[in-house]
Amino acid sequence: MAQPQSIAAAPSPAPDADLIAAWRGGDEQAATELVRRHARALARFLSGAGAPDADLEDLVQEALIRAFRAVDRFRGQCQFRTWLLTIGGNLLKDHGRRAARHKVVALEEGLAARDGDPHERAEAGETETRLAEGVGKLPRLQREVFLLRAQQGLEYEEIAAALDTTAGAARVHYHHAVRRLKELIQ
Amino acid sequence: MKEDATLHDAKLHAAAQRLGSGAAEKLDVERLATTVVERLRKPVARPMWMQPAWLRIAAAVVFLVGGGLVWRQFGSPSAPHAAHFVTDDLTDLSADQLRDVLNTLDETLNLGSTTLPDGDLEDLDAQQLQAVLRSLEG
Repeated sequence: MAQPQSIAAAPSPAPDADLIAAWRGGDEQAATELVRRHARALARFLSGAGAPDADLEDLVQEALIRAFRAVDRFRGQCQFRTWLLTIGGNLLKDHGRRAARHKVVALEEGLAARDGDPHERAEAGETETRLAEGVGKLPRLQREVFLLRAQQGLEYEEIAAALDTTAGAARVHYHHAVRRLKELIQ
Repeated sequence: MKEDATLHDAKLHAAAQRLGSGAAEKLDVERLATTVVERLRKPVARPMWMQPAWLRIAAAVVFLVGGGLVWRQFGSPSAPHAAHFVTDDLTDLSADQLRDVLNTLDETLNLGSTTLPDGDLEDLDAQQLQAVLRSLEG
């Protein structure tokens, strides 16, 4: 049997849908390319949602494995990345349950704004600290909607498709989240 | 006031976009991709209770327990017997004795709608009397 041709090696970037189809056909390079494209976004999402730094890589890896193994259930109802983020969110929920703790991500030096004067950087760092704490206190759905919208820049329709809700409900969750976070940050 | 709110929203968004980026930057994506692909090559490790042999054993246990319950419910000695006629136990009685039994029944039960043949019992032989008794048993 001939080896499946690697789409990832094509000169122009292949759409996710083509890479997914190639992975379904057994192309490991396609899986590698999908990891390259989406692993950091997944890590940011999980970290923002409260994944402990020490467990972050394991959680990212597990979410990717689950996504690739369940790829036949992905029907293109949303982007692959959005679907991957929801798998990561479910995994984090289970992880939090098992660990019986909910640690807010520790802010790293790299998290603070890299430009502006020292006062602005300090202020930005303070805002992020409070934001991270606030995000950790939100109900799960509000937290995920907020991160998908504000951190990942997704449209409400996309968020709704991923979380199996309506765009209107996603909008309401987002506004509740923002209102609570503003109260916490002020 | 509106300007303050807008500024606040912008700050919130900027902070949200940076959230988790420090931890994500530390991720070695190439190493991660290699590990993921290697894990995908391996067959899925199922928990022991999901192994086919254990599933077969569990199915056999369920079958036996279920079968036992069904047997206890419908097939045990406490279940009702097949139809048994008292008349079958009276085959040793003579015709006179059978007439006495029928007369006793007639008096005791005062059979109402079910009446014994008036005065004809004397004419019946033992076999016919047994048939009458059996008809009374339903």
